[in-house]
Amino acid sequence: MSLMTMIVKMGEGLGKTCAIFFLTLLFSLPLGMIVALLRMSRIKAVSAVTRFFITILRGTPLMLQLLAVTYGPYYLFGATVARNKLIPVVIAFAINYAAYFAEIYRGGIESIPVGQYEAAEVLGYSKVQTFMRIILPQVVKRIMPSVTNEVVTLVKDTSIAFTVSYQEMFTIGKQIANSQTSFMPFVVAGVFYYCFNAIVDYLMGRIEKRLDYYQ
Amino acid sequence: MTEEKTGAAPSILEIRSLEKSFDSLCVLKDISLEVERGNVLSIIGPSGSGKSTLLRCAAFLETADGGDILYDGQYALRGGVYASKAELNRFRRRFGLVFQNFQLFPHYSVLRNVSEPPTLQGEDREEARERAVELLKKMGLEGKENAYPYQLSGGQQQRVAIARALAMKPEILFFDEPTSALDPELTGEVLKVIRQLAEEKMTMVVVTHEMPFARAVSNCVIFMAGGVIVEQGDPLQVFDDPREERTRQFLRVFERG
Repeated sequence: MSLMTMIVKMGEGLGKTCAIFFLTLLFSLPLGMIVALLRMSRIKAVSAVTRFFITILRGTPLMLQLLAVTYGPYYLFGATVARNKLIPVVIAFAINYAAYFAEIYRGGIESIPVGQYEAAEVLGYSKVQTFMRIILPQVVKRIMPSVTNEVVTLVKDTSIAFTVSYQEMFTIGKQIANSQTSFMPFVVAGVFYYCFNAIVDYLMGRIEKRLDYYQ
Repeated sequence: MTEEKTGAAPSILEIRSLEKSFDSLCVLKDISLEVERGNVLSIIGPSGSGKSTLLRCAAFLETADGGDILYDGQYALRGGVYASKAELNRFRRRFGLVFQNFQLFPHYSVLRNVSEPPTLQGEDREEARERAVELLKKMGLEGKENAYPYQLSGGQQQRVAIARALAMKPEILFFDEPTSALDPELTGEVLKVIRQLAEEKMTMVVVTHEMPFARAVSNCVIFMAGGVIVEQGDPLQVFDDPREERTRQFLRVFERG
Protein backbone atom coordinates (compact mmCIF):
# COMPACT_ATOMS: atom_id res chain seq x y z
CA MET A 1 0.00 0.00 0.00
CA SER A 2 1.42 3.37 -0.97
CA LEU A 3 1.83 6.13 1.59
CA MET A 4 -0.72 8.19 -0.34
CA THR A 5 -3.37 5.48 -0.06
CA MET A 6 -2.65 5.22 3.65
CA ILE A 7 -3.10 8.94 4.14
CA VAL A 8 -6.34 8.98 2.15
CA LYS A 9 -7.76 5.99 4.02
CA MET A 10 -6.85 7.39 7.41
CA GLY A 11 -8.04 10.83 6.33
CA GLU A 12 -11.47 9.33 5.82
CA GLY A 13 -11.50 8.55 9.56
CA LEU A 14 -10.66 12.15 10.46
CA GLY A 15 -14.32 13.13 10.22
CA LYS A 16 -15.10 10.66 13.00
CA THR A 17 -12.12 11.84 15.04
CA CYS A 18 -13.48 15.38 14.73
CA ALA A 19 -16.96 14.14 15.69
CA ILE A 20 -15.61 12.69 18.94
CA PHE A 21 -13.63 15.84 19.60
CA PHE A 22 -16.34 18.42 18.99
CA LEU A 23 -19.21 16.47 20.51
CA THR A 24 -17.17 15.76 23.62
CA LEU A 25 -16.42 19.46 24.04
CA LEU A 26 -20.01 20.41 23.27
CA PHE A 27 -21.32 18.26 26.12
CA SER A 28 -18.46 18.22 28.61
CA LEU A 29 -17.81 21.97 28.83
CA PRO A 30 -21.32 22.83 30.13
CA LEU A 31 -21.69 19.53 32.00
CA GLY A 32 -18.45 20.32 33.81
CA MET A 33 -19.97 23.56 35.09
CA ILE A 34 -22.97 21.72 36.49
CA VAL A 35 -20.67 19.18 38.14
CA ALA A 36 -18.51 22.00 39.56
CA LEU A 37 -21.56 23.70 41.06
CA LEU A 38 -22.75 20.40 42.57
CA ARG A 39 -19.25 19.81 43.91
CA MET A 40 -19.37 23.21 45.63
CA SER A 41 -22.93 22.72 46.89
CA ARG A 42 -23.55 23.74 50.46
CA ILE A 43 -25.55 20.55 50.88
CA LYS A 44 -22.90 18.18 52.24
CA ALA A 45 -24.39 15.00 50.74
CA VAL A 46 -24.53 16.52 47.23
CA SER A 47 -20.94 17.70 47.29
CA ALA A 48 -19.70 14.41 48.81
CA VAL A 49 -21.44 12.25 46.19
CA THR A 50 -20.20 14.50 43.38
CA ARG A 51 -16.71 14.39 44.77
CA PHE A 52 -16.86 10.58 44.87
CA PHE A 53 -17.87 10.36 41.20
CA ILE A 54 -15.13 12.78 40.23
CA THR A 55 -12.52 10.62 41.98
CA ILE A 56 -13.75 7.56 40.07
CA LEU A 57 -13.71 9.34 36.71
CA ARG A 58 -10.29 10.79 37.30
CA GLY A 59 -8.89 7.75 39.06
CA THR A 60 -9.65 5.08 36.46
CA PRO A 61 -8.48 4.91 32.83
CA LEU A 62 -10.66 6.53 30.20
CA MET A 63 -10.20 3.33 28.20
CA LEU A 64 -11.82 1.33 30.98
CA GLN A 65 -14.70 3.81 31.23
CA LEU A 66 -15.18 3.61 27.48
CA LEU A 67 -15.39 -0.18 27.61
CA ALA A 68 -17.82 0.01 30.53
CA VAL A 69 -20.14 2.42 28.73
CA THR A 70 -19.99 0.47 25.46
CA TYR A 71 -20.27 -3.12 26.71
CA GLY A 72 -21.55 -2.65 30.25
CA PRO A 73 -25.23 -2.61 29.19
CA TYR A 74 -24.70 -5.92 27.38
CA TYR A 75 -23.13 -7.67 30.37
CA LEU A 76 -25.53 -6.13 32.89
CA PHE A 77 -28.88 -6.32 31.09
CA GLY A 78 -28.13 -8.33 27.96
CA ALA A 79 -28.82 -5.21 25.93
CA THR A 80 -27.51 -5.22 22.36
CA VAL A 81 -24.31 -3.28 21.90
CA ALA A 82 -24.96 -0.02 20.07
CA ARG A 83 -24.37 -0.25 16.30
CA ASN A 84 -23.20 3.31 16.14
CA LYS A 85 -20.26 3.37 18.52
CA LEU A 86 -20.15 7.15 18.37
CA ILE A 87 -22.88 7.30 21.02
CA PRO A 88 -21.10 5.33 23.79
CA VAL A 89 -17.79 6.93 22.81
CA VAL A 90 -19.15 10.45 23.21
CA ILE A 91 -20.98 9.54 26.42
CA ALA A 92 -17.83 8.11 27.99
CA PHE A 93 -15.62 10.97 26.78
CA ALA A 94 -18.08 13.70 27.77
CA ILE A 95 -18.52 12.36 31.31
CA ASN A 96 -14.80 11.83 31.77
CA TYR A 97 -13.85 15.26 30.51
CA ALA A 98 -16.66 16.91 32.47
CA ALA A 99 -15.00 15.62 35.65
CA TYR A 100 -11.71 17.25 34.67
CA PHE A 101 -13.35 20.49 33.55
CA ALA A 102 -15.37 20.56 36.78
CA GLU A 103 -12.21 20.63 38.86
CA ILE A 104 -10.72 23.33 36.64
CA TYR A 105 -13.90 25.42 36.96
CA ARG A 106 -13.99 24.90 40.70
CA GLY A 107 -10.40 26.07 41.04
CA GLY A 108 -11.23 29.13 38.94
CA ILE A 109 -14.38 29.99 40.84
CA GLU A 110 -12.70 29.60 44.22
CA SER A 111 -9.85 31.86 43.13
CA ILE A 112 -12.17 34.87 42.79
CA PRO A 113 -11.95 37.03 45.92
CA VAL A 114 -14.98 37.02 48.24
CA GLY A 115 -14.95 40.81 47.99
CA GLN A 116 -16.20 40.58 44.40
CA TYR A 117 -19.32 38.77 45.60
CA GLU A 118 -19.75 41.24 48.43
CA ALA A 119 -19.37 44.26 46.16
CA ALA A 120 -21.97 42.83 43.78
CA GLU A 121 -24.34 42.01 46.63
CA VAL A 122 -24.18 45.51 48.07
CA LEU A 123 -24.78 46.94 44.59
CA GLY A 124 -27.99 44.96 44.28
CA TYR A 125 -26.84 42.18 41.93
CA SER A 126 -28.86 39.00 42.33
CA LYS A 127 -27.06 35.69 42.86
CA VAL A 128 -27.48 34.78 39.18
CA GLN A 129 -26.42 38.24 37.96
CA THR A 130 -23.35 38.10 40.19
CA PHE A 131 -22.32 34.74 38.79
CA MET A 132 -23.05 35.44 35.14
CA ARG A 133 -21.79 39.03 34.96
CA ILE A 134 -19.06 39.30 37.57
CA ILE A 135 -17.68 35.89 38.47
CA LEU A 136 -17.91 33.76 35.31
CA PRO A 137 -16.12 36.18 32.93
CA GLN A 138 -13.20 36.41 35.35
CA VAL A 139 -13.18 32.64 35.83
CA VAL A 140 -13.06 32.03 32.06
CA LYS A 141 -9.99 34.20 31.73
CA ARG A 142 -8.21 32.52 34.63
CA ILE A 143 -8.86 28.95 33.51
CA MET A 144 -8.07 29.33 29.81
CA PRO A 145 -4.52 27.88 30.06
CA SER A 146 -5.79 24.80 31.95
CA VAL A 147 -8.70 24.34 29.55
CA THR A 148 -6.33 24.54 26.59
CA ASN A 149 -4.30 21.77 28.21
CA GLU A 150 -7.35 19.53 28.47
CA VAL A 151 -8.46 20.27 24.91
CA VAL A 152 -5.03 19.34 23.57
CA THR A 153 -5.15 16.12 25.56
CA LEU A 154 -8.61 15.40 24.18
CA VAL A 155 -7.31 15.57 20.60
CA LYS A 156 -4.89 12.77 21.38
CA ASP A 157 -7.35 10.84 23.56
CA THR A 158 -9.74 10.42 20.62
CA SER A 159 -7.41 7.59 19.59
CA ILE A 160 -8.64 5.59 22.58
CA ALA A 161 -11.85 4.98 20.61
CA PHE A 162 -9.93 2.18 18.82
CA THR A 163 -10.63 -0.02 21.88
CA VAL A 164 -14.29 -0.28 20.79
CA SER A 165 -13.39 -0.40 17.07
CA TYR A 166 -14.98 2.94 16.27
CA GLN A 167 -13.68 3.71 12.79
CA GLU A 168 -11.89 6.97 13.57
CA MET A 169 -8.53 7.87 12.14
CA PHE A 170 -6.33 6.00 14.59
CA THR A 171 -8.45 2.83 14.49
CA ILE A 172 -8.10 2.74 10.71
CA GLY A 173 -4.39 3.40 11.02
CA LYS A 174 -4.00 0.55 13.48
CA GLN A 175 -5.86 -1.81 11.15
CA ILE A 176 -3.62 -0.83 8.23
CA ALA A 177 -0.55 -1.24 10.42
CA ASN A 178 -1.66 -4.78 11.29
CA SER A 179 -2.52 -5.84 7.78
CA GLN A 180 0.57 -4.27 6.17
CA THR A 181 2.96 -4.95 9.06
CA SER A 182 4.09 -1.35 8.73
CA PHE A 183 4.84 1.34 11.24
CA MET A 184 4.05 4.09 8.71
CA PRO A 185 0.35 4.48 9.70
CA PHE A 186 1.45 5.46 13.23
CA VAL A 187 3.79 8.09 11.81
CA VAL A 188 0.92 9.41 9.69
CA ALA A 189 -1.35 9.42 12.77
CA GLY A 190 1.29 11.33 14.73
CA VAL A 191 1.48 13.97 12.02
CA PHE A 192 -2.31 14.25 11.90
CA TYR A 193 -2.55 14.78 15.68
CA TYR A 194 0.29 17.25 15.64
CA CYS A 195 -1.39 19.35 12.94
CA PHE A 196 -4.76 19.12 14.67
CA ASN A 197 -3.21 20.39 17.90
CA ALA A 198 -1.32 23.15 16.10
CA ILE A 199 -4.72 24.47 15.00
CA VAL A 200 -6.18 24.02 18.50
CA ASP A 201 -3.20 25.87 20.00
CA TYR A 202 -3.59 28.71 17.56
CA LEU A 203 -7.32 29.10 18.19
CA MET A 204 -7.04 28.91 21.98
CA GLY A 205 -4.21 31.40 21.83
CA ARG A 206 -6.48 33.81 19.96
CA ILE A 207 -9.17 33.44 22.60
CA GLU A 208 -6.64 34.07 25.36
CA LYS A 209 -5.43 37.18 23.52
CA ARG A 210 -8.97 38.42 23.30
CA LEU A 211 -9.31 38.18 27.06
CA ASP A 212 -6.07 40.10 27.53
CA TYR A 213 -7.76 43.48 27.68
CA TYR A 214 -7.71 43.45 31.46
CA GLN A 215 -5.62 41.98 34.25
CA MET B 1 -41.94 46.78 58.81
CA THR B 2 -43.24 48.96 61.63
CA GLU B 3 -42.76 52.66 62.00
CA GLU B 4 -41.01 53.16 65.29
CA LYS B 5 -40.91 56.81 66.27
CA THR B 6 -43.49 59.44 65.61
CA GLY B 7 -42.95 63.18 65.39
CA ALA B 8 -39.30 63.90 64.67
CA ALA B 9 -37.88 62.34 61.50
CA PRO B 10 -36.15 59.06 62.36
CA SER B 11 -32.40 58.69 61.97
CA ILE B 12 -31.19 57.29 58.68
CA LEU B 13 -29.47 54.49 60.57
CA GLU B 14 -30.01 53.32 64.08
CA ILE B 15 -28.34 50.35 65.72
CA ARG B 16 -29.41 49.06 69.12
CA SER B 17 -27.65 46.54 71.34
CA LEU B 18 -26.02 44.79 68.41
CA GLU B 19 -24.34 41.48 69.26
CA LYS B 20 -22.07 39.39 67.09
CA SER B 21 -19.84 36.39 67.77
CA PHE B 22 -17.62 34.32 65.53
CA ASP B 23 -17.97 30.84 67.02
CA SER B 24 -17.33 31.49 70.70
CA LEU B 25 -15.43 34.73 70.16
CA CYS B 26 -17.56 37.75 70.93
CA VAL B 27 -16.66 40.54 68.46
CA LEU B 28 -19.50 43.01 69.04
CA LYS B 29 -21.06 43.59 72.43
CA ASP B 30 -24.08 45.77 73.03
CA ILE B 31 -23.34 48.25 70.24
CA SER B 32 -25.77 51.15 69.93
CA LEU B 33 -25.43 54.16 67.67
CA GLU B 34 -27.45 56.55 65.61
CA VAL B 35 -26.64 58.46 62.42
CA GLU B 36 -28.61 61.59 61.63
CA ARG B 37 -29.23 62.79 58.11
CA GLY B 38 -26.33 64.84 56.73
CA ASN B 39 -23.94 63.78 59.48
CA VAL B 40 -20.60 62.05 59.30
CA LEU B 41 -19.80 59.40 61.89
CA SER B 42 -16.23 58.19 62.21
CA ILE B 43 -15.39 54.92 63.90
CA ILE B 44 -11.85 54.64 65.20
CA GLY B 45 -10.06 52.04 67.28
CA PRO B 46 -7.30 49.45 67.24
CA SER B 47 -7.24 46.53 64.81
CA GLY B 48 -9.56 43.75 65.85
CA SER B 49 -11.77 46.10 67.84
CA GLY B 50 -14.80 45.14 65.73
CA LYS B 51 -15.25 48.39 63.82
CA SER B 52 -15.18 46.76 60.38
CA THR B 53 -17.45 43.97 61.59
CA LEU B 54 -19.89 46.59 62.84
CA LEU B 55 -19.94 48.28 59.45
CA ARG B 56 -20.32 44.94 57.68
CA CYS B 57 -23.24 44.07 59.94
CA ALA B 58 -24.89 47.35 58.99
CA ALA B 59 -24.35 46.42 55.31
CA PHE B 60 -25.73 42.87 55.88
CA LEU B 61 -22.41 41.31 54.91
CA GLU B 62 -22.17 39.77 58.37
CA THR B 63 -25.07 38.23 60.21
CA ALA B 64 -25.63 39.74 63.63
CA ASP B 65 -26.71 37.49 66.49
CA GLY B 66 -28.82 39.97 68.37
CA GLY B 67 -30.06 43.53 68.53
CA ASP B 68 -31.81 45.88 66.11
CA ILE B 69 -30.81 47.62 62.87
CA LEU B 70 -33.19 50.29 61.64
CA TYR B 71 -33.01 52.25 58.43
CA ASP B 72 -35.17 55.35 58.48
CA GLY B 73 -37.11 53.94 61.43
CA GLN B 74 -37.84 50.62 59.75
CA TYR B 75 -36.52 47.36 61.13
CA ALA B 76 -34.04 45.44 59.00
CA LEU B 77 -33.07 43.46 62.09
CA ARG B 78 -35.30 43.22 65.12
CA GLY B 79 -34.24 41.36 68.23
CA GLY B 80 -31.72 39.36 66.23
CA VAL B 81 -34.27 38.41 63.55
CA TYR B 82 -33.78 39.69 60.01
CA ALA B 83 -36.49 41.01 57.72
CA SER B 84 -37.40 38.93 54.66
CA LYS B 85 -34.97 38.63 51.74
CA ALA B 86 -37.07 40.94 49.60
CA GLU B 87 -37.18 43.54 52.35
CA LEU B 88 -33.42 43.32 52.89
CA ASN B 89 -32.96 43.90 49.16
CA ARG B 90 -34.99 47.07 49.51
CA PHE B 91 -32.93 48.16 52.52
CA ARG B 92 -29.77 47.51 50.51
CA ARG B 93 -30.71 50.29 48.13
CA ARG B 94 -30.50 52.77 50.97
CA PHE B 95 -26.78 52.38 51.58
CA GLY B 96 -23.57 52.14 49.60
CA LEU B 97 -20.31 50.60 50.71
CA VAL B 98 -16.73 51.44 49.80
CA PHE B 99 -14.25 48.65 50.52
CA GLN B 100 -10.69 48.86 51.75
CA ASN B 101 -9.39 47.22 48.57
CA PHE B 102 -11.87 48.84 46.18
CA GLN B 103 -13.35 45.64 44.75
CA LEU B 104 -13.91 47.16 41.34
CA PHE B 105 -14.93 44.68 38.66
CA PRO B 106 -11.65 44.19 36.76
CA HIS B 107 -13.25 43.05 33.51
CA TYR B 108 -15.41 46.17 33.23
CA SER B 109 -14.28 49.58 32.05
CA VAL B 110 -14.38 52.35 34.62
CA LEU B 111 -17.58 53.65 33.06
CA ARG B 112 -19.31 50.29 33.12
CA ASN B 113 -18.30 49.71 36.73
CA VAL B 114 -20.27 52.81 37.63
CA SER B 115 -23.12 52.64 35.13
CA GLU B 116 -24.13 48.97 35.18
CA PRO B 117 -25.42 48.53 38.75
CA PRO B 118 -28.22 51.13 38.43
CA THR B 119 -29.40 49.64 35.12
CA LEU B 120 -29.87 46.27 36.83
CA GLN B 121 -32.28 48.03 39.16
CA GLY B 122 -34.31 49.03 36.13
CA GLU B 123 -32.83 52.44 35.51
CA ASP B 124 -32.63 53.73 31.95
CA ARG B 125 -29.25 52.91 30.33
CA GLU B 126 -28.64 56.34 28.92
CA GLU B 127 -29.54 58.03 32.19
CA ALA B 128 -27.25 55.76 34.16
CA ARG B 129 -24.45 56.39 31.69
CA GLU B 130 -24.83 60.14 31.92
CA ARG B 131 -24.83 60.10 35.69
CA ALA B 132 -21.76 57.83 35.69
CA VAL B 133 -19.90 60.28 33.47
CA GLU B 134 -20.94 63.12 35.75
CA LEU B 135 -19.90 61.32 38.94
CA LEU B 136 -16.55 60.33 37.46
CA LYS B 137 -15.97 63.95 36.53
CA LYS B 138 -16.81 64.98 40.06
CA MET B 139 -14.27 62.45 41.35
CA GLY B 140 -11.63 64.02 39.12
CA LEU B 141 -11.57 61.08 36.73
CA GLU B 142 -12.60 62.79 33.53
CA GLY B 143 -11.10 61.00 30.53
CA LYS B 144 -10.69 57.72 32.44
CA GLU B 145 -14.11 56.36 31.43
CA ASN B 146 -12.73 53.79 29.02
CA ALA B 147 -9.76 52.74 31.13
CA TYR B 148 -9.74 49.45 33.01
CA PRO B 149 -9.19 49.35 36.76
CA TYR B 150 -5.71 47.82 36.49
CA GLN B 151 -4.59 50.85 34.53
CA LEU B 152 -5.41 53.20 37.41
CA SER B 153 -3.57 54.06 40.61
CA GLY B 154 -5.03 52.86 43.91
CA GLY B 155 -6.34 56.33 44.67
CA GLN B 156 -8.06 56.53 41.29
CA GLN B 157 -9.53 53.08 41.75
CA GLN B 158 -10.92 54.02 45.13
CA ARG B 159 -12.48 57.15 43.63
CA VAL B 160 -14.11 55.01 40.95
CA ALA B 161 -15.44 52.80 43.77
CA ILE B 162 -16.90 55.89 45.46
CA ALA B 163 -18.52 56.97 42.20
CA ARG B 164 -19.92 53.47 41.77
CA ALA B 165 -21.45 53.57 45.24
CA LEU B 166 -22.88 57.05 44.64
CA ALA B 167 -24.42 56.01 41.33
CA MET B 168 -26.93 53.94 43.29
CA LYS B 169 -28.14 57.16 44.97
CA PRO B 170 -27.69 55.85 48.50
CA GLU B 171 -29.03 57.75 51.48
CA ILE B 172 -26.01 56.75 53.50
CA LEU B 173 -22.51 55.79 52.45
CA PHE B 174 -20.28 53.38 54.41
CA PHE B 175 -16.50 53.48 54.13
CA ASP B 176 -14.53 50.50 55.43
CA GLU B 177 -10.99 51.80 55.92
CA PRO B 178 -11.05 53.45 52.49
CA THR B 179 -7.41 54.55 52.55
CA SER B 180 -5.72 51.67 54.35
CA ALA B 181 -4.51 50.13 51.09
CA LEU B 182 -3.08 53.43 49.82
CA ASP B 183 0.19 55.23 50.28
CA PRO B 184 0.06 58.69 51.95
CA GLU B 185 -0.02 60.63 48.71
CA LEU B 186 -2.97 58.68 47.33
CA THR B 187 -4.67 58.73 50.73
CA GLY B 188 -4.87 62.51 50.47
CA GLU B 189 -6.76 62.51 47.18
CA VAL B 190 -9.33 60.02 48.47
CA LEU B 191 -9.84 61.88 51.76
CA LYS B 192 -10.32 65.09 49.77
CA VAL B 193 -13.19 63.49 47.89
CA ILE B 194 -14.81 62.22 51.10
CA ARG B 195 -14.42 65.64 52.66
CA GLN B 196 -16.11 67.17 49.64
CA LEU B 197 -19.03 64.77 50.06
CA ALA B 198 -19.28 65.76 53.73
CA GLU B 199 -19.54 69.39 52.70
CA GLU B 200 -22.41 68.44 50.42
CA LYS B 201 -24.14 66.91 53.45
CA MET B 202 -23.82 63.31 52.34
CA THR B 203 -24.56 61.05 55.29
CA MET B 204 -21.55 58.82 55.93
CA VAL B 205 -20.07 56.31 58.33
CA VAL B 206 -16.31 56.05 58.02
CA VAL B 207 -14.16 53.38 59.66
CA THR B 208 -10.71 54.92 59.56
CA HIS B 209 -7.24 55.19 61.02
CA GLU B 210 -6.86 58.75 59.72
CA MET B 211 -7.22 60.67 62.97
CA PRO B 212 -6.81 64.24 61.70
CA PHE B 213 -9.36 63.50 59.01
CA ALA B 214 -11.84 62.03 61.51
CA ARG B 215 -11.35 64.99 63.80
CA ALA B 216 -11.88 67.55 61.05
CA VAL B 217 -14.70 66.01 59.06
CA SER B 218 -16.96 64.09 61.46
CA ASN B 219 -19.88 65.31 63.49
CA CYS B 220 -19.49 62.38 65.81
CA VAL B 221 -16.69 59.95 66.65
CA ILE B 222 -16.97 56.48 68.11
CA PHE B 223 -13.96 54.86 69.73
CA MET B 224 -14.20 51.07 69.82
CA ALA B 225 -12.00 48.54 71.56
CA GLY B 226 -12.53 44.87 72.26
CA GLY B 227 -15.93 44.78 70.60
CA VAL B 228 -17.52 47.55 72.66
CA ILE B 229 -18.01 51.26 72.19
CA VAL B 230 -15.67 52.76 74.75
CA GLU B 231 -16.53 56.36 74.05
CA GLN B 232 -18.60 58.35 71.62
CA GLY B 233 -19.21 62.00 71.16
CA ASP B 234 -18.17 65.23 69.52
CA PRO B 235 -14.82 64.78 67.70
CA LEU B 236 -13.15 67.66 69.51
CA GLN B 237 -14.12 66.22 72.86
CA VAL B 238 -13.09 62.65 71.99
CA PHE B 239 -9.77 63.68 70.47
CA ASP B 240 -8.77 66.59 72.71
CA ASP B 241 -10.35 65.66 76.00
CA PRO B 242 -11.19 61.94 76.04
CA ARG B 243 -13.12 60.79 79.07
CA GLU B 244 -11.89 57.19 79.08
CA GLU B 245 -8.39 56.04 79.89
CA ARG B 246 -8.54 53.44 77.07
CA THR B 247 -9.23 56.20 74.55
CA ARG B 248 -6.36 58.32 75.87
CA GLN B 249 -4.06 55.34 75.65
CA PHE B 250 -5.06 54.70 72.00
CA LEU B 251 -4.74 58.34 70.93
CA ARG B 252 -1.37 58.76 72.61
CA VAL B 253 0.14 56.37 70.07
CA PHE B 254 -0.83 58.78 67.29
CA GLU B 255 0.48 61.86 69.10
CA ARG B 256 3.84 60.20 69.46
CA GLY B 257 3.59 59.17 65.79
